[in-house]
Amino acid sequence: MIEILITAFGGGAGAVSRFMLGAKIQERWPEPPIPVAMMIVNILGSIGLGIFFGAMFEGIPIYEYHNPWFLLLGIGFFGAFTTFSTFSVEAVTLLERRKYKQAGIYIMLSIGGSLAGFIIGIYWFI
Amino acid sequence: MKLNWYLLAAIFIGGALGTTVRYWINVQTLFTLYPIGTLIENIAGSFLLGILTRYVLHRKPHEAWKAGLGVGFCGSLTTMSTLAADAFMLAGENSMLASSLYISMSLTGGLLTALAGFVLADRFSKKKEAVSRD
Repeated sequence: MIEILITAFGGGAGAVSRFMLGAKIQERWPEPPIPVAMMIVNILGSIGLGIFFGAMFEGIPIYEYHNPWFLLLGIGFFGAFTTFSTFSVEAVTLLERRKYKQAGIYIMLSIGGSLAGFIIGIYWFI
Repeated sequence: MKLNWYLLAAIFIGGALGTTVRYWINVQTLFTLYPIGTLIENIAGSFLLGILTRYVLHRKPHEAWKAGLGVGFCGSLTTMSTLAADAFMLAGENSMLASSLYISMSLTGGLLTALAGFVLADRFSKKKEAVSRD
């Protein structure tokens, strides 16, 4: 039970932080050619998870589901701070509007950026 | 969207619930030794957000519901950082092919189900509109 509470708290905080940072980015850049707000959030969150994994576990933890830090920050905060559903919906929306080039760039940058961010983060502290 | 306290509360609650479901699916699928949990969560969440995105266009629910379910629940049920970690892990422990396959499945699954969600919600709303006109 305590595991669920810790995870849920980290997730709630991650979701609120995602919303607030996303709103800030949109305020600064109201009409970007591709939806950059969640892309930036996802890349930052992936760097964050990479740093956390590298610093605390020196690699990817798998059987750490009883470790409160893994639950609070790994599954909870960074898991919820970053998102995939908004990415899917934004990519499909671009495709639906026949903005194929933007959709391609958006998909490549989101996935590639998050992967690169995670790798940079984890090697930083390993 | 203004930063109202009730919006933030709705997002916190939705986020906590979405994360709890993600945690639960992860724990249930640990035995597979494959990051199938994240894949399921990302695809299911994309489908749900696809439905919700079009539903709110047609029916205009209260902002707090929209934020709580969309930003909070769907946003937190799905994750990009764990996807990145899983892809990195597969590249190291299995192969680059396994890693690329995992990313491709996440991508095609997420995009196709989000689109399916759009289509479903549009159809459902049109039917409702037709009924209310009668």
